[in-house]
Amino acid sequence: MKKYLYVVKTQIITSMAYEFNVYGNIIMQTIIMITSAYFWKALYKGRDMVGDVDADSMLTYVIMSSVLSVLLITNVERRIERSVDRGTVATDMMKPINIFGVYFAEDIGNILALFFQNMLPIILIGSLMIKVPAMADIRDLPLFIISVAESFLINWIIAALFGMMAFTAFNIDALIQVKKHLLRLLSGSIIPIWFFPPAVQKVLGSLPFVYIYQLPLSIYIGRGSRAEYLSGMKIQFLWLLGLSAVFFYVQSRVVRKVMVQGG
Amino acid sequence: MIDVQNLSKDYILKKKEPGLKGAIKGLVMPVRTTMRAVNNLSFHIDTGEIVGFIGPNGAGKSTTIKMMSGILTPTEGRVLIDDIDISKHRKEAVKNIGVVFGQRSQLNWDLRLGESFELLKHIYQIDQKDYDRTIDDLDKILGIREIMDKPVRQMSLGQRMKGDLVAAMLHSPGVLFLDEPTIGLDVSAKYALRKFIKEINKVRKTTVILTTHDLGDIQELCERIIIINHGELMEDGNLNEIVDRIAPYKTLVVEYYDESAPEHVRCEMTEHKGNVAKYRFMKKDLTAAEIIADLSKEKTIKDVSIEETGIDDIIKIAYGT
Repeated sequence: MKKYLYVVKTQIITSMAYEFNVYGNIIMQTIIMITSAYFWKALYKGRDMVGDVDADSMLTYVIMSSVLSVLLITNVERRIERSVDRGTVATDMMKPINIFGVYFAEDIGNILALFFQNMLPIILIGSLMIKVPAMADIRDLPLFIISVAESFLINWIIAALFGMMAFTAFNIDALIQVKKHLLRLLSGSIIPIWFFPPAVQKVLGSLPFVYIYQLPLSIYIGRGSRAEYLSGMKIQFLWLLGLSAVFFYVQSRVVRKVMVQGG
Repeated sequence: MIDVQNLSKDYILKKKEPGLKGAIKGLVMPVRTTMRAVNNLSFHIDTGEIVGFIGPNGAGKSTTIKMMSGILTPTEGRVLIDDIDISKHRKEAVKNIGVVFGQRSQLNWDLRLGESFELLKHIYQIDQKDYDRTIDDLDKILGIREIMDKPVRQMSLGQRMKGDLVAAMLHSPGVLFLDEPTIGLDVSAKYALRKFIKEINKVRKTTVILTTHDLGDIQELCERIIIINHGELMEDGNLNEIVDRIAPYKTLVVEYYDESAPEHVRCEMTEHKGNVAKYRFMKKDLTAAEIIADLSKEKTIKDVSIEETGIDDIIKIAYGT
């Protein structure tokens, strides 16, 4: 465990070095936040409630979605791709440490670095330019935190599974982009899926993506009852279990494959 | 210490046919062929030996090293390091192994060298005292401390190689595998690297196994060489003995004052160009002094020199080129 904590620490140091990336993301998220805010303001003109949510909560949703997107930045896909490409996977696997554990620790370190560099500025900009994104009911905070932790894990596992495709020797750059944008669309991070037709909602509700963004954000803005949150989190947890199982299975196969075919 | 028993490795290759049609065919019905990269190798290496693996590109050296260091699983046979089967008890065995691949670095490009070492210190759970001592020792040989604060991406190839060597030795492994460590290095970096290998072998009794195309490396470092070609073991033994056996001759180069050169009955004239003639003789039945004495009776000699049969001739012969 201590090893992995050290990896986290090292990654924080590394991430601090890339200032340009950090500012780039703040600017991008600001643009997304502001345009979304204007979009929702226009949509709500003359109406109090759309889809059980008032305009004010929707603006909170927009800001928190940007904040959450920082937490859900993963580097594992590119990390795997790069080490397969450079041929360092094999030597990485030589070390008495699990490489996927290392990748996970690196992503944690990266996010910890981004907490101050990215998340706080985005909250600040959102508060100044749009509104203060206060939580609807502070008593739901534990539920919110747990669901965010689970969505982080689900998101990471999906990213790692994508990254492992790099082992079957093709370029996954384009695929990573497709996944990234598809995920933002299907998870309700930009447009909550309660604005979609009921049939589409039903389909998306059975996929893991809405449990990454929409579920924790709904808890935050107080859309729905506590019973609904809990049933949502139950499905979220089942997805987490299922995806973890797939992940561990694929991981062991990938390690074996590298061992047989060489890095 | 290291026991390699009947080691073989097959690679499965997908046959790719040219053109779009071939690409589609390859996707739908891939034709797989197996290629034997290493065939039935067996040998034993003792603690404290420095063994050089030589062979042409694609001979199977790297594959063998990868199997011996636990990176690749052999198709057949096994590798025992201190009686531990490396592919079965990998986690345990790798703690005693250090690996450096000349063409890839295991250092983190985004970090300073010292930070990379600290990370490895934690991964291998090396305690501070041992760590400090190792760094001190290696600093004396390689001068590593002066580049500890430099980011790896800004390093020259020679500096990075030094860094990689120290990284591989941090956990004080008993066996160090080096795959083409001197590739692309300049003369002084090569010299430092050879010194390093000799030192760790002498002081720490580290067993070193290296592959190289640099004959200087072999001559400087290895008492024992293993020649591999087409995945098979061609030669295994003492360097000098192999040289004596494969090429039991030397060449005497004689320069005269004009273009005519006398023959010598007991050796063969291999070349005669201008004023210079070359005589090849068997080491065991003749000495250069005798030939010079015989020749100088017939003609006045201006200058002489002796060409030793070097390791490169051995390799040429062993590779069959």
